[in-house]
Amino acid sequence: MTDITKPLPGQERYVAPLEETPLQTVDTVDESATATSMWSDAWRALRRNPLFIISSILIVFIIFVALFPGVFTKNDPNYCTLDNSLEPARPGHPFGFDLQGCDVYSRVIYGTRTSLSVGILSTLIVVAVGTLIGAIAGFCGGWIDAVLSRIVDIFMAIPMLLGAIVVLQMFRTITSIWKVVLVLALFGWVSTARIARGAVLSSKNLEFNTASTALGSTPMRNLFRHILPNSLAPIIVIATTSLGSYIVSEATLSFLGIGLPSTTVSWGGDISNAQSILRTDPMVLFYPSVALAVTVLAFIMMGDAVKDALDPKSRTA
Amino acid sequence: MSEQTNIDDKLGQLQRAEVPLLEVKDLQVDFTTDDGRAVHAVRDSSFSVYPGQWVAIVGESGSGKSTSAMACLGLLPGTGKVVGGSIKLNGNEISHYTQKEFVNVRGSKMGLVPQDPMSNLNPVWRIGTQVKEALVANNMDVSHEKRSDLAKALAKADIEIKSEGDETFLGSKQLPELLEAAEQALVAIGVEGDAFAKKMEYFRAEWVPGSETRWRVADDLVKAGVKADDAWYIAKKYVTGSSMEDRIAGLLDEAGLPDAATRARQYPHEFSGGMRQRALIAIGLACRPELLIADEPTSALDVTVQKKILDHLQDLTDSLGTAVLFITHDLGLAAERAQHIVVMYKGQVVESGPSLEVLQHPQHPYTKRLVAAAPSLASQRIVSVEERGQDASAIMEHKVNEESLEKADTIIEVSHLTREFKLPRTKDMFKAVDDVSFKLKRGTTLAIVGESGSGKSTVANMVLKLLEPTSGTVTYNGSDIAQFKGESLLDFRRHVQPVFQNPYGSLDPMYSIFRSIEEPLRIHKVGDKKSRAARVRELLDMVELPESVMRRYPNELSGGQRQRIAIARAMALNPDVIVCDEAVSALDVLVQDQVLHLLNDLQAKNGLSYLFITHDLAVVRQIADDVVVMQHGKLVEHGTTDEVFLHPQQQYTRDLLDAIPGGKLELGLNLD
Repeated sequence: MTDITKPLPGQERYVAPLEETPLQTVDTVDESATATSMWSDAWRALRRNPLFIISSILIVFIIFVALFPGVFTKNDPNYCTLDNSLEPARPGHPFGFDLQGCDVYSRVIYGTRTSLSVGILSTLIVVAVGTLIGAIAGFCGGWIDAVLSRIVDIFMAIPMLLGAIVVLQMFRTITSIWKVVLVLALFGWVSTARIARGAVLSSKNLEFNTASTALGSTPMRNLFRHILPNSLAPIIVIATTSLGSYIVSEATLSFLGIGLPSTTVSWGGDISNAQSILRTDPMVLFYPSVALAVTVLAFIMMGDAVKDALDPKSRTA
Repeated sequence: MSEQTNIDDKLGQLQRAEVPLLEVKDLQVDFTTDDGRAVHAVRDSSFSVYPGQWVAIVGESGSGKSTSAMACLGLLPGTGKVVGGSIKLNGNEISHYTQKEFVNVRGSKMGLVPQDPMSNLNPVWRIGTQVKEALVANNMDVSHEKRSDLAKALAKADIEIKSEGDETFLGSKQLPELLEAAEQALVAIGVEGDAFAKKMEYFRAEWVPGSETRWRVADDLVKAGVKADDAWYIAKKYVTGSSMEDRIAGLLDEAGLPDAATRARQYPHEFSGGMRQRALIAIGLACRPELLIADEPTSALDVTVQKKILDHLQDLTDSLGTAVLFITHDLGLAAERAQHIVVMYKGQVVESGPSLEVLQHPQHPYTKRLVAAAPSLASQRIVSVEERGQDASAIMEHKVNEESLEKADTIIEVSHLTREFKLPRTKDMFKAVDDVSFKLKRGTTLAIVGESGSGKSTVANMVLKLLEPTSGTVTYNGSDIAQFKGESLLDFRRHVQPVFQNPYGSLDPMYSIFRSIEEPLRIHKVGDKKSRAARVRELLDMVELPESVMRRYPNELSGGQRQRIAIARAMALNPDVIVCDEAVSALDVLVQDQVLHLLNDLQAKNGLSYLFITHDLAVVRQIADDVVVMQHGKLVEHGTTDEVFLHPQQQYTRDLLDAIPGGKLELGLNLD
């Protein structure tokens, strides 16, 4: 009978030589590593994303055009004579003239400012209002949350364009671009509010809030110092992606003739004017459309890249 | 010689005659990082598992223990790849298997019981359906028992199996008829009265449809006195095979779920953690694998539940002849359950051998370190560096603490504390804490011990004034904390600080370490910018972290380092009391040991009082002077640590003490 107390073959006592398995101090800090906050991580991911590189070059260019249109054209977009009506391109007027005899190139250049300011201003207002209301709803909870959430639901039920058309119809006499900006914000804040509420709700219950309450922090201080900063990522993502859609909406409203007044140079208005001569002179419609498409594409691409970088699922704790 | 040693002998003989069931040699597993570098997760690791044997792989998190096991199953996550060495299952090389080939081995040859019972069951499917999935995926015959050769060889001596059909399972339809026939048979041989009732009760308990086989039924009848021929006749007539539902219920019953047929129709959310783990064990063993890989199967469960489940799993695998590769971070558990132990460190096997021998006489410095840090029952209260230096002889007899315990004044007094919560969708109130009273004396540590749901954390939150009690009072230095508002509340917060369980959740990920530690100073407007920065440096030094950590963010630090940051933050305002809510529960043994020592040194240096909430009695022994045991919201036992450990008064406390894995084993005999 074999000795059964002896280990089975291959299971004898084994001790690894110490040279091959050097012992390290328990739980040492790797001091050589560089500090990475969430933002610097996101920035590193963004820098490597071709989508971000292309879209940021485009956006920087678009912003430059909007700020200094004079650098690109010496022509006045509002100087139109019927002598030039539908004249083809000639030196100094690379895109030719539209039906009214206005220079298409300079109108495309000056239209950038309109589109961009509507897009950026609407987004800023939407983020401010949406975050505030969403954060209050998520943070306070209870009946405040119930009331605010129902208001959000009601606004959600109104299609943005339809609502904008109805409201803009009532204020046809006002000519400022703020009219369009405020109307877009009025119907746009709800989606941001929802996202903000969700983000605040989820970071509200994290332990570091309890920890800082126990340190003596007040609920309001917690909201502004801990909860909101931790809820920013999804809000930034939705803000960048929706910027493009506000530009499209402004163009759509102007196209329908109820957005900006015809005295303001805008791509939507120009596209609208050009549609009647689409058959004979398609290029008059082509240039503002391309400008609009490229701008919107740039912002949507940027939104995608930012989303990739900030998406909590792609980040590991 | 007893029956058990007989079987053990025979098992040893059989194992010796065979090749290892699983043989891993010089295994190397690499992971590729985002920037294309290879990380060697496992390097040159070798171990083997024989049929019917429990082998434990022990190591801290990141040591490569789970990775090695997953490599055997072909379930390496992400970019993991076996780059060298061999894995042999029953002598066949499987390391080069494609996923398709692995499918044939998984389930039927190798089963897995995963770590987290909460996330490993699909919440939208009934438990029964998930067991069925395992059976169907492997084309299991649900009406016949499949037994390993080892189980057959072991059982052969006692019972003669006459034909293949004798391994048929009992079906639920035939059960009433079978019981009736058994009743008649018993009457026929003249069994009456108490003996009759007892036997029938035994049959009812034993004959579980889908789990009991014909030969076992026959065997039971024979043992009850029925003549062999009659017994086999009855068994043959009524045990004719089980349906899928029967088998599912049978499997769940074997895993220790009571009322299995009903349970099978329930959803995971209706199960407790322990029950889910039992269901996962049933799934893992559904296709009667020869090897069961159990990856920390009970680390998410309470100790008493852990003990029950492992006891049951051990019985079950013993009777089925299943080998178990048991992955754990708990040395005590490994010593108690496994015959062979493999210690891993940084991807390498540093020591292996018979488990008791390895743990009693560890030789590799790492194993020695592990054994020394393991909070087993034998360990004493940690003595701080200062005390060690001062009065060695007094400390030997643990006098310093007992004396100070006698004369110390009370800093926190909890009296008749009760907290009720409203149950959702009902009008019922649930008493989370029920009439709890205790005193925390200045400069000492009071531990509150209990399992999850015992209300210990609720008590902590009320002491911290994060939650208002339904009734009862908490006083701090003689004043009722319920009265604190504004200035006085801020003052209270300054003196009573928490350290929470989750080192990943209690630090704001957006804050640098510097900002995190500075936060309490800012809130309480202590000092100017410069003096605050100096204080942060001082605090980091106090918790033994380098200054360079200041610029880092929590996600870059390990759990233990984060916990030390949390302690530094709690210490920033020079508090009197620190409430540690499971502060070391999420940490590896070595790191846990380090943090406990740190807490203890801080106590000695600054005269802190700790309210230490934990589920781990072994840790209590190391840090606490007084112990309060809680169960279902009530205080069950209260005494000094020595009293509670040496002379537990309540059954519940005794159960808790018994459930400490490896509590009765003396480890590290060769360490000083």
